[in-house]
Amino acid sequence: MARNPNDRLPQVETTCESLLNELQVIWDELGESDAEKDKMLLELEQECLNVYRRKVDQVNLYRAQLRQQIADSEAEIAAICSSMGERPVHTRQSPGFLKEQLKATSLKLEEMHKRKSERMNQFLEVLDQIQKISTEICPTEYDPSKFAIDGSDLSIRILEDLQRQLQSLQKEKSERLRQVMDHLNTLKKMCIVVGIDFKETIREVQPGLDQDKGSKNISNSTIESLASAIENMRKIKIERMQKLQDLATAMLELWNLMDTPNEEQQQFQKVTCNIAASEQEFTEPNALSMDYINYVEAEVLRLEQLKASKLKELVLRKKTELEEIRRRTHLVAEADEPEFSIDAVEAGATDASLVLEHMEAQLSTAKEEAFSRKDILERVEKWLAACEEETWLEDYNRDENRYSAGRGAHLTLKRAEKARALVSKIPAMVDTLENKVTAWEKERGTEFIYDGAPLLSMLEEYITVSQEKEQERKRQRDQKKLQGQLTAEKEVLYGSKPSPAKLQSFKKTHKTLTLSPSQRISLGAAATHTPKKAYEVGTVSSGTRGIDNAGLSEKSSSNATATAAFETSSPSEDVKDTTKAMRVSTPKSPRKVAADGTGEGDATEYSFEERRLVFYLSRKRDEGAL
Amino acid sequence: MSAATLPATGGRELSNPPSDGISNLRFSNHSDLLLVSSWDRSLRLYDAGADALKGEFAHAGPVLDCCFHDDSSGFSACSDHMVRRFVFGSGKEDILGRHDAPVRCVEYSYATGQVITGSWDKTLKCWDPRGASGPDHALVGTYPQPERVYSLSLVGHRLVVATAGRHVNVYDLRNMSQPEQRRESSLKYQTRCVRCYPNGTGFALSSVEGRVAMEFFDLSEAAQAKKYAFKCHRKSEAGRDTVYPVNAIAFHPIYGTFATGGCDGYVNVWDGNNKKRLYQYSKYPTSIAALSFSRDGRQLAVASSYTFEEGDISHEPDTIFVRNFAGRTQLRSSCLLLRFRFVLDV
Repeated sequence: MARNPNDRLPQVETTCESLLNELQVIWDELGESDAEKDKMLLELEQECLNVYRRKVDQVNLYRAQLRQQIADSEAEIAAICSSMGERPVHTRQSPGFLKEQLKATSLKLEEMHKRKSERMNQFLEVLDQIQKISTEICPTEYDPSKFAIDGSDLSIRILEDLQRQLQSLQKEKSERLRQVMDHLNTLKKMCIVVGIDFKETIREVQPGLDQDKGSKNISNSTIESLASAIENMRKIKIERMQKLQDLATAMLELWNLMDTPNEEQQQFQKVTCNIAASEQEFTEPNALSMDYINYVEAEVLRLEQLKASKLKELVLRKKTELEEIRRRTHLVAEADEPEFSIDAVEAGATDASLVLEHMEAQLSTAKEEAFSRKDILERVEKWLAACEEETWLEDYNRDENRYSAGRGAHLTLKRAEKARALVSKIPAMVDTLENKVTAWEKERGTEFIYDGAPLLSMLEEYITVSQEKEQERKRQRDQKKLQGQLTAEKEVLYGSKPSPAKLQSFKKTHKTLTLSPSQRISLGAAATHTPKKAYEVGTVSSGTRGIDNAGLSEKSSSNATATAAFETSSPSEDVKDTTKAMRVSTPKSPRKVAADGTGEGDATEYSFEERRLVFYLSRKRDEGAL
Repeated sequence: MSAATLPATGGRELSNPPSDGISNLRFSNHSDLLLVSSWDRSLRLYDAGADALKGEFAHAGPVLDCCFHDDSSGFSACSDHMVRRFVFGSGKEDILGRHDAPVRCVEYSYATGQVITGSWDKTLKCWDPRGASGPDHALVGTYPQPERVYSLSLVGHRLVVATAGRHVNVYDLRNMSQPEQRRESSLKYQTRCVRCYPNGTGFALSSVEGRVAMEFFDLSEAAQAKKYAFKCHRKSEAGRDTVYPVNAIAFHPIYGTFATGGCDGYVNVWDGNNKKRLYQYSKYPTSIAALSFSRDGRQLAVASSYTFEEGDISHEPDTIFVRNFAGRTQLRSSCLLLRFRFVLDV
């Protein structure tokens, strides 16, 4: 009760007393017995007690309710504490007033609720982050049930667990991000070298990756895609690199073959210096771009075309040379020799180098033959020259005006004289020639062909013709003699006259010789050509020459222009088979390969008083000691 | 009927309380004088009604018990092994006798006119206060006890002695040669206090374990069937009971109800016949060391004084409260009062 009952006490006491007095008075008047009075008093008491009891019960109930509330609150506090993994920290209030207790407990409960929700928020936050990062890392595998909050266990331990998980996820995320960035960087570098658009490439890998800003996708699929893109790019790079290196090799060979000047070579130094480089060494932008490779390829093509044209030239030259030799030696190309048309070579149908090789073979054969025929040919020329003189002489002899003195008459006379001497030698000449040819033919096992015709048969024919002519002459002489006789007789009888018929028949017989006019011409031409030539097969040229100079002597200045085209100032390289086909004769001084590969856990009982006395006495002793 | 808690007034606090623990207090049988023995080595005499310290008698050591002879003199049991008599007015003191160990209890038997003391020397001694001229003349007899005497109580000719080891001896004062009954406490723990019923049929015995046993002298089966024990002065929290020693028992001289005081700081008033607790006073500052009813039962003196049950710890200051005890007549009038209050207030 708010009011201090003692305040009202005197007042009420008075009322009570007066009432009692009144009662006493009434009783007296009534004449109530003591028993009756007592009974009434007892009744009064009972009634009061009942009222009192009811009130007390009510208050008691209230108290019980309060206690229950307190107990409930405390239970709830304990429950929250346990769910948060904490020990119930609350101290049981010293039995003060229940109302105060209730207030304190409510406050505490509120606080606990607040803390629980704070803790819950912490959990939610961490889980949210975990979810975010999990989704980033593995968009498909996120399992929400793994990350549900267990309301009954919100302890710090679990929270720390989750926080550790979050940390490891964050670490993983940053690791993946680093990977992705690494891959992107690698890819970028590769793209730069290969000349492919980087942004386009990564857009193909995954759209959105090419954005500079924004979070990058770090899922497994992205990382794998990037890795495979890098692999692809590497393959491309290697492909191109190999192609470029092949081109460079070809280029070097061609330079070597054709003695390309340094200034020209300098332009492609970049390519050739990387000839044996590894994939990683290609770092220059566009070093492996298609444009650049095409550019190099074009150059190689150009060089090859140059080489082809040079080859063609060479073939032609060789052909000319062969023809010349044949002409000089009055050889005719074998019927079964394959004809190499220049057109075919030009068209690429026939390999020029092959042709050249064949040419060389033919040339060497021809030269060898020429050498063996030399002697006979000389004799044949002499013989033919003699025959010509013979013919001239015959003509001269037929000329009735030969003795007429005219301009150069003495020369002709001289010539006739020489001719007669020469003609007289002809049979011997022929004979020797025949022998030589036969011997030659025996040795060689083949007929001596002169301008397509067997020489022996020519000689035979000549002999036959000569014999016929001789016979004719003899006959004519005989006839003449006879006629002379007759004439003489006639002269004696009539006088003399020359016969034109003999001259004409002689010319005819001479014309039946199988010498073609062209051959005769060639003979004449051959006669004028300087025969002295050094046919050197397999010349060892001083200085290192790339292309075979067999047949092209250093000394022959007439070929100077030809060789000049093939001069290579730089020594050759260790080149591949194409050079072998050209029959490289000289052992090359080994050139240093330009693009060498320099290229992280009592028993005795005492009462309180006895103990107190002991303590008392010891304290007294201590105080006494001081 | 559920026990009620009366409003929170502990009673009138006496001024000039002792400066150390209160070992016992007693109302006089003739007046409202209150005798208080204390560990501060003093024996004090108060006029409880007037809240006045009438006398203070110093001792050589802590005074463990006291009792009135009459309103002019009293006796003290001291830890210095002495039994003394004090004449309050003059302050004269003389030694009645001595034990071989601190004297724990002192009682005066009006029936025999003797002073009876119990000591930790395991003896009971009876003294004749009239022969107090010399130390040995007063001694009437020494009666060995099985163990150190912890508590004594008299009613009529009966004397109940409770010792350590839970021994209980019942003597007939007319024949002290040997105990009338040798008993063992029916409680399992150390005896704190023993008090005889005013009607002389038995005694109440309390232990350090928050329990009180109600015993009867009549050893017949019928009588023994009535004996019982009950738990009290306990605190239950979270399913566990904290038990407190019950230090004091005091019987209302008229009603036969009795009050118990424990180390929990509460005073409970019991109706022994109905086995009910009548009420509990609100908590006192510290342990209840002693209780005493006035001769008319209208007042109850409560010594709120730490009894060293937990050793040397800091504690509330020692105080004496004297409260009005609601007797039946008082109940009667207070019921009326309450009734009227209800009418007026509600």
